[in-house]
Amino acid sequence: MLLATAALVLGLAGGCTPPSGTTGGTTASTTAGSTSGDPGTTPGTKRPDPTSDGATIGETINIGLVASQSGEQKPWGDDNIKGSQMAVDEVNKAGGINGKQIKLLVGDSQSAPEQGKSAALKLIADGIVGLLGEVASGITQQMAQVSKDAGIPIVAIGATRTDLADIGSNFFRVCYNDDFQGAVMAKFAWDYLKLKEVALMTDAKLPYSVGLSNSFRTSYEALGGKIVGEEKYQTTETQFSGYLSNLKAKNPAGVFLSGYFTQVGPIVSQMRQAGITVPVMGGDGWDSSDLITSGGEAIVGGFFCNHYNSKETRPEVQKFLADWKTKYGGEPGTTMGALGYDGAKLMIDAIKRAMDKGGTKSRDITAAIEDTENFPGVSGTITLKGFAGNPSKSALIVKVTKTGFVFEKSYTPEELK
Amino acid sequence: MAGLDFSILPQQLVNGLLLGSIYALIALGYTMVYGVLRLINFAHGEVFMLGSYAALFTSWALGFSPESVKGIDKASSPMNLIIMLVVSMVVCGLIGVVIEQLAYRPMRNQARIASLITAIGVSLFIQYAGGLFLPQSPPPAISEQINPFRNEKVTFTIKPAPKEAVDKANVAMAKARESDVLYEKAKLDGRPAAQLETMRQANQEAQNEASSLQTQVSSQTSGIVIPFGQLGMLLTTVFLMLLLWFVVQKTKTGRAMRAVAHDFDSAALMGINVGRVVTVTFMIGSALAGAGAMMYATVLRTPLTPFLGVAPGVKAFVAAVLGGIGNIPGAVFGGVLMGVVETLVVWLDGLIPGLGGYKDAVAFVVLIAVLLFRPGGLLGSSKVEKV
Repeated sequence: MLLATAALVLGLAGGCTPPSGTTGGTTASTTAGSTSGDPGTTPGTKRPDPTSDGATIGETINIGLVASQSGEQKPWGDDNIKGSQMAVDEVNKAGGINGKQIKLLVGDSQSAPEQGKSAALKLIADGIVGLLGEVASGITQQMAQVSKDAGIPIVAIGATRTDLADIGSNFFRVCYNDDFQGAVMAKFAWDYLKLKEVALMTDAKLPYSVGLSNSFRTSYEALGGKIVGEEKYQTTETQFSGYLSNLKAKNPAGVFLSGYFTQVGPIVSQMRQAGITVPVMGGDGWDSSDLITSGGEAIVGGFFCNHYNSKETRPEVQKFLADWKTKYGGEPGTTMGALGYDGAKLMIDAIKRAMDKGGTKSRDITAAIEDTENFPGVSGTITLKGFAGNPSKSALIVKVTKTGFVFEKSYTPEELK
Repeated sequence: MAGLDFSILPQQLVNGLLLGSIYALIALGYTMVYGVLRLINFAHGEVFMLGSYAALFTSWALGFSPESVKGIDKASSPMNLIIMLVVSMVVCGLIGVVIEQLAYRPMRNQARIASLITAIGVSLFIQYAGGLFLPQSPPPAISEQINPFRNEKVTFTIKPAPKEAVDKANVAMAKARESDVLYEKAKLDGRPAAQLETMRQANQEAQNEASSLQTQVSSQTSGIVIPFGQLGMLLTTVFLMLLLWFVVQKTKTGRAMRAVAHDFDSAALMGINVGRVVTVTFMIGSALAGAGAMMYATVLRTPLTPFLGVAPGVKAFVAAVLGGIGNIPGAVFGGVLMGVVETLVVWLDGLIPGLGGYKDAVAFVVLIAVLLFRPGGLLGSSKVEKV
């Protein structure tokens, strides 16, 4: 009887764990290291081409977007949808693409890879010619696979995991990748913060986090730094005291946390309680104002790598922020607003170029995206031609303060060579 | 990386004890309900979850909502924590009673499996109804500012760090503070950028030196550090357990509870109002979960989701079974054992890299091992039950 109920509980626990957006796709192979000096490209690898021509451009042009409308990553999903919708509305208001109106079809990934996959499949069945999304690398991995099978181009919004670009020649992104991001943070830790020994904290269930930690480790060791230890936790955990006691004994001069803000906040907060007072750093997974709520005083003074900053004076940024304010009020809470806008704008720009050349199929759009050169995005100028899906872009490092994120330093791809 | 670091073992044991005390609080609810009704109340983890939300809403009502503490240091008093604890316990106690009255009482005279399925139903109902109505994404966290003791800790030193190291760290700290003041002043003075950058670098190095020497001192000190809040958590837990022991052993209600646990039907025949005893049992068990939930969310800084109760609920259930379900000291013992085993597995990660990821699995392996040799649990009676 007891064993039977115990088994039942186990089954129950397995069945009703919350959608954490992290399961699946934990293959740890990355191309980190092979490209340490040249972050914008993945040389030498031929990306497989989709076999299908994809969908045909209809009377209304359907673009799909998969985003987290629910679950842990909702702050990203919401901003992403708002940004992309803003881009579509803007173009429609100005007459659409050659007179044809654009429709943005949105699917909910519920912050989970399997749900993201079904959402993408449904959008493809609904006749989209191009797909946008996701923010999380684990979800994007699934979406990239199905869109390659269907011959639909996919423009990822915030998925930085490096090996995603190897899935197919129809994969592009508007953000930098983790090889670059890890190298930027390693250089920042070594050159700017002057840290000689760093420990890593990795979310073993997140493909993004595993890839970013590896990339940071490779670049940091290449600079001469020493990684004194790595603690691996799981996304669903909430108590980290055991890991933190281990970490403290290794005596690091700084800690690099490559996970998402949902775990980083509590970890850093518990870290200070455990008596670890050294500087903390992370990747763009930290990007949400909720980090400050959950991390409290401990997270203040931390640094992370981001895509753009609302204090920039470039006209693209200022126009975007003004439009956002008119449409939604306030400022986007995460950078996914800007990246969502850039992704949609880039897709629309490519569809127009494809149609101008007489293209009618998704395959023509894929070719047009591949040809993108010097596209003026809010998050920086994007060039995809010859870069195998990964744009060559700058990264910004921001500092966490009590009220928000403040620009600290930026790195261009050239500076890292 | 390989190799065990024995200097952190005492700290890890304490970490385990602190975590285990929360499991024990929840396990008490499982074991008490099982004691009187022979029912596994699967909804107990959800009561725990609702308790943490009760604490969250109370903290908002006390003026510690994310908006009102943004960017400022708000003073708090220990009274706020007590209010949150009491509100959580009362809310959970009531929820426990409501669940018992609405879901389990109508099933009382049916086959036991019907109650069990009902319990699972209630559990899922609360989780997903919570998903509809409770704030969950991003997971809200109780502001740490409500805890006035957040920066204080108690240190039990076994062997202090060498005096030279402490002195060195103190000197470096003073230097770092001085350098920071100088740099901030230079920034305000509007010095040329190149000069500022040199100063920034020097300042950064001074800060690094100080923080790394400080961490070095704390890692060379062999001993135990317990944040003040967590010590308070432990003491509260012990106090509540003693209170429970008093109620069960020394009061009339407690005697009635023991009688009902011993033999439900005979107790009823002896004139004990079993309905009332069951209600009180649910109330006490749920209130204990509420206390655990408040401390879990406030002191251990756990962000809240409607699924928060699942993992601690399952672990506490295992703890209750491990200690011998129906046995109150057993639940406490099982809870602490679970917490300690879990933390030790993370510690053993130093010897076998990757083991830390299996900490939950190891907890279940311990359960299986114990049940193989003592089917009634560690402190339970192993009488054969006819089903």
